[in-house]
Amino acid sequence: MTEDLLSLIKENVIQGRIAQDDEGFDEGLVGQPGASELTEKALTEGVNLEDIINKGLTEGMNIVGQKFETGEYYIPDMLASAETVGAAMEILEPHLAQSGIKSKGKILVATVKGDLHDIGKNIVSILLRGAGYTVKDLGNDIAPQTIVEAVREERPQFLGMSALLTSTMIHMNNTIEALTESGLRDKVKIIIGGAAVSEEFAQSIGANGYGADGFQAVKIMDALRNSMKG
Amino acid sequence: MLITSTDIDAEIDKRQICNYLGYCAECEPPARISSLIDEYVENVHHLIDPVHSYIIKDIERVENSYVFLEGSIVLKSRVIARLLERCCQAAVMVATIGNQLEEMACQLAEDGLMVQSAVLDTIGSDAVERVADFVQGRIGEVASAQGLCVSPRFSPGYCDWNITQQKKVFQAIGRNTAGVSLTEDCLMVPRKSISGIIGIGRCHDSIEHYNPCKTCRKHDCQSRRVA
Repeated sequence: MTEDLLSLIKENVIQGRIAQDDEGFDEGLVGQPGASELTEKALTEGVNLEDIINKGLTEGMNIVGQKFETGEYYIPDMLASAETVGAAMEILEPHLAQSGIKSKGKILVATVKGDLHDIGKNIVSILLRGAGYTVKDLGNDIAPQTIVEAVREERPQFLGMSALLTSTMIHMNNTIEALTESGLRDKVKIIIGGAAVSEEFAQSIGANGYGADGFQAVKIMDALRNSMKG
Repeated sequence: MLITSTDIDAEIDKRQICNYLGYCAECEPPARISSLIDEYVENVHHLIDPVHSYIIKDIERVENSYVFLEGSIVLKSRVIARLLERCCQAAVMVATIGNQLEEMACQLAEDGLMVQSAVLDTIGSDAVERVADFVQGRIGEVASAQGLCVSPRFSPGYCDWNITQQKKVFQAIGRNTAGVSLTEDCLMVPRKSISGIIGIGRCHDSIEHYNPCKTCRKHDCQSRRVA
């Protein structure tokens, strides 16, 4: 019974259906319970929270990632699934705090100074929340010194920076330098992404990782986390 | 959707919006995305306030990568210089759809409605392109009346034309900026705005179809113009 419920949550993440009124990627699903209703039901039935996240939301999103990579899903389809995970996580978050389930770590995310584009950052934030990370979104057009202060106050394990423009990616470098000057660089692993940047650029500025898309960002975060444990 | 203002008529193109969202030419989006696009295209007129401004400047001279326009305006770009050395005038333009659509898209994203936000944002991107195309057409008519032709449109931030050259574009445009301003980092506010330059000269293929991408080695450039 529990497995059926988790499987339905997973399927609705893949379909990008939040509520029963929603259409899915495939047609003809309107009227069937969506991820929100199913998540509520799972909570009522006492299904393990970690199972809801891991076997329902995360497994569903992993399949969405595969479909995105192979070209079956396009950006709006992936966004619908990310939105679904976000809606389910909103229902789960108050219960997570009570249950004592530990976050996989805290990440601050920001679009760098001069850059007003935030769709990519928002997608990554949702995927990271769905993967079990605590995300604090600083917003867009964030100056290096503001990020430094936020790292000092929030003490995150990770920092994610996004830049869409070649003219603003330099601020990623400036931020890393400002963190170094403040003695905070070693306290935080840094991952970057956005249309303007690349793996080579990440290496050149001394970032710890580069995510070409939201799914890769989660994989890299998990890998960094495992390397920290070791 | 027809974008209209006192003097602009431009049609939003649903196929183009699908392309911007990543769907290939032969791919139809799922029914829910398709109906969402239709719904927004029908209902967001009130969020689009097309405004434009342009000015035509004489080209005084071109030296290497520098273009000297009347009014002591100096542009720096090899790609723009190669175009304008063949032209007698340059039209400098700015077009925008205002900030209402952008504000709505941001609000939707804040509310967690990312699909809606992305679709609306994309409609805004297409709308401002249509407004800029309209302005380009208007400049073409002005040139044609003088027996001249126009080049394609080029914007700071592309090719070797540095984004900081936005300041020069806005210096050339002068006071009437169509309500568009520049941030410290030379981004335009409202974000759904397009600035640029169009060469005007004797009708010749090298102006009308000037395409620096033909000889550019950055084959993975997302802004590459098909030859």
